[in-house]
Amino acid sequence: MSAPATSVRARTSARTIVWLQGLAGLAGFAALLEIVPRSGLISPYYLPPFSTIVVALFGEFHRAEFWTALGDTLEAWAIGLAVSLIAGIIIGIAIGSSHLLRTLTHSTIEFLRPIPSVALIPLAVLLFGSKIQSTLVLVVYASFWQVLIQVLYGVQDVDPVARETARCYGLGRWAQIRYVIWPTTLPYLMTGVRLAAAVALILAITSEVAIDTQGLGKEIADTESGGAVAAMYAYLIVAGVIGVIVNLGARALERRTLTWHPSIRLESAEAGV
Amino acid sequence: MPITRRKYLSSLAATGAAALAAPMVSPARAADKLSIAVIPIADCAPIYLGKAKGFFEKQNLDIELSTQGGGAAIIPGVLSGQLQFGFSNVPSLFIAQTKGLKFVGIAPGVASTGISGKDFCATLVPGDSPINSAKDLAGKTVAVNNLNNIGAVAVSAGVKAAGGDPKSVKYIEVPFPDMPAALADHHIEAGWMVEPFVTIARSRGNKVVDWPFVAIAPKVMIAIYFASEQYATANPDIVKRFKAAMGESLAYADSHTDEVRQMIPTYTRITPEIAGKITLPIWPAEFNRPSIQALADDSLEDGLISKKADVAALLP
Repeated sequence: MSAPATSVRARTSARTIVWLQGLAGLAGFAALLEIVPRSGLISPYYLPPFSTIVVALFGEFHRAEFWTALGDTLEAWAIGLAVSLIAGIIIGIAIGSSHLLRTLTHSTIEFLRPIPSVALIPLAVLLFGSKIQSTLVLVVYASFWQVLIQVLYGVQDVDPVARETARCYGLGRWAQIRYVIWPTTLPYLMTGVRLAAAVALILAITSEVAIDTQGLGKEIADTESGGAVAAMYAYLIVAGVIGVIVNLGARALERRTLTWHPSIRLESAEAGV
Repeated sequence: MPITRRKYLSSLAATGAAALAAPMVSPARAADKLSIAVIPIADCAPIYLGKAKGFFEKQNLDIELSTQGGGAAIIPGVLSGQLQFGFSNVPSLFIAQTKGLKFVGIAPGVASTGISGKDFCATLVPGDSPINSAKDLAGKTVAVNNLNNIGAVAVSAGVKAAGGDPKSVKYIEVPFPDMPAALADHHIEAGWMVEPFVTIARSRGNKVVDWPFVAIAPKVMIAIYFASEQYATANPDIVKRFKAAMGESLAYADSHTDEVRQMIPTYTRITPEIAGKITLPIWPAEFNRPSIQALADDSLEDGLISKKADVAALLP
């Protein structure tokens, strides 16, 4: 820390190396996807070479349906995630703050949580058909628990001394939530956000594949049933890229929100970031 | 609906309040909006053509088309009223009927060509397979897209017609798009496929051993456009107009196959190249009741349905 200029340069190069390593990994994977079908290990009819998939991907960019589908998937993802976050935070803080509510709801939560969201597909279809509401049922059901559980743990983690101190100083209910519960819960919540963001995307696309609601998943199903194999893989790549972006976004949010938190400060020091 | 709205309007006019209502309800009768689900396959080209040609507009119908993976997924939508009409193959409607769900056929959907050697579905085997005829399929495992549907009924009918024992055929479920690969790798001994996969599989060295639909009836009406009985009873006028528009669309499609081939890539992901090569089904404008009865009899015999299907109730 004595020579700030050097350390900045060192940090920058460390970050560059991490990025380069990541890109090298991707390039290796792309090369593998190119070689395997070309070598005949897998028939190129069913796994076209990577270059063919990329050409198909650029072909999709020219179709209006691609952008509509992308928008539909992101819309379902964003609405579903927002509903889960708001509901998870409010219900989590309400239940977590009350011993009685915690004991009353514990068994029910543990019963409902492991039910796979996809098991609700028949129910969603009966209720809403192939509409965005069906997708939202699945997305919210899967991502809500991720948020709720984290918030519950976060609220329980509040230091009893801090809680009592706040009470002694006469902090009202809202002030307690704002200054005592919220800062403790935030790191847990951020983990919940990261998990929920990924799960919401998985379920959005799953529901589009399975129940033909509009979006990237339906394009995957349609390209498959139309025999457009390269385009189908192109959509898989798009889904993967969105997943990476969602994860990067969630991590950046986490880092920005928790700059003050020891876990992030430690991580930053170690990574030299 | 529009009639009552018009009556409402005239009564308003009588009381001198028409000026207030006029901006909200246009005096010309607005087109009835219909949500209709079809399957993204060649079979459904007529309704897209009919929409493009204005046949539905002419009947004052504004149709919104959506696609679903299969008829079985469309049935709940029609049942719940989210869809006014749907496209489904006939056996799925028989199955729904035996479960107590009441549907009525409104217009023909699609039919097989009736030509052995030039149909839109076929049973295929790998090029080097010892299986050479439908009779050879006895005792073999045949892949169909859905165990509880028309595929197994058709293959069994073909085996029976060729003098084999249909009961000895075993069926497994494999999605159509996976069948060409499964055949090539000899994961399955035979597969029952529809277009475009018949064309795709044949182009990759697999051979056709049977065109099974001819064994059921000369030209089998495989799918129809249907509505819930409740909707059809409550909206006889819309049903009549939909039927008229569909009839015109079917007849047009049947006589303009070039336009059909151009239309297919617009609502499916079948490439224009493949769409130009596939064998098209036929689109009769009238219900083919004897063929639907034959399908019902075969479905019962094969155990697809547990009790006799009521063809008269489906096609009143």
